[in-house]
Amino acid sequence: MAEMHQIRLQIGPAAFRIASAWRQPLDQLAALYRDYPGPSDHMVDFTVRLEPDKPWRRYIRPSVHIGGDFWLPDAAPLPLAQGLLAAEMGMNLQMALGWRRHLLLHASSVEKDGRALIMTGLSGSGKSTLSAMLAQKGWRFMGDEFALLDLDTGDIAPFPRLISLKNQAIRAMQTVAPADRFGPEMTDTPKGDIRHLVPPKAAIDRMGEPARPALLLFPRFGHDPELRDMGQAEIFVRLTQASTNYVALGEAGFRALTRFVDQVPTRAMDYQSIEQAEELIERLWSRSP
Amino acid sequence: MSDQNFRLSTMTPKYRAGPKDDLIWHELDSMTLLFHRPSGNTHMLADPAPALLEVMDSGLLTAAEIATRLKARFDVESGADTDDIISARLEELAALGLIAREAG
Repeated sequence: MAEMHQIRLQIGPAAFRIASAWRQPLDQLAALYRDYPGPSDHMVDFTVRLEPDKPWRRYIRPSVHIGGDFWLPDAAPLPLAQGLLAAEMGMNLQMALGWRRHLLLHASSVEKDGRALIMTGLSGSGKSTLSAMLAQKGWRFMGDEFALLDLDTGDIAPFPRLISLKNQAIRAMQTVAPADRFGPEMTDTPKGDIRHLVPPKAAIDRMGEPARPALLLFPRFGHDPELRDMGQAEIFVRLTQASTNYVALGEAGFRALTRFVDQVPTRAMDYQSIEQAEELIERLWSRSP
Repeated sequence: MSDQNFRLSTMTPKYRAGPKDDLIWHELDSMTLLFHRPSGNTHMLADPAPALLEVMDSGLLTAAEIATRLKARFDVESGADTDDIISARLEELAALGLIAREAG
């Protein structure tokens, strides 16, 4: 077997080993994760492997196949120039399919005064961009992909991995975030144009600090600004759809999610611009208990 | 037993609830959530299905007997429709595996 390079990363409660047939994606990861501590011991929760699609493709038009402890058989290989994206997708996949210590919600989260705002919605809802933008405006960034709901305490644990900016969000964030926090721009990926943004240093330094969930939003981009109440039944169903491990957690997941729905005020939020969303969020936040 | 009685008894199914510990109940604003421990499935039920489960126990009961219990405990309108609705909901609960159904 050909030599594999590797790097270990600690992101919130999860420790990863990324092994790659090529140095380039790992060098990019090392640069972007420079502010993160390595895992405290040599144990890792997950391994992600970036390997040639076919043996000769290590050198000729290199093509990256994502492997690891958990994997999808039909995940299409990516060109080597998108190896960083492959690593990030691989880490997300391990969490989505393998994590059992929290109820995983496909959601972004930010914190202020010890209280967490959680935003969930379909791809394109703007939850990732909103969390990245709020992180530049006095909120602590906790994650743009997964909110980790503690099964015992009901708190949200941070998982502040790199922020994955897509298409127009790249331009929007370049106006507010320091230039040295951006990764390489990857164009024409399966998800469009992608550029990673390193979360603010304070978010990384405090990635072991959970926060109490105080507000849940379902943002929807492209509609007249409006806040709407939602019924608990709809909230519960949509959160089970937003969770990658609700079924796997069984009774513990049911108890955690029902408590969350009982306790966390929730609104649907329509908006047409980041500024509108910020205004609506600040208005809600100032009234939340 | 006459032929007619025999036919009637085989056509009247009876229903029985599982052990109370099998279900975790949680009330939402408009629906009732039930977590079914043996299967790990979560069910979201609208009225009157949760009330049917509440009046049932481990004894085998016909739909008519369950309807009588329901009317004693809850404010239920009487009528032919009510019995049909209860029978239909019982069949659904049995199909979900939340109650057992036995031919009469």
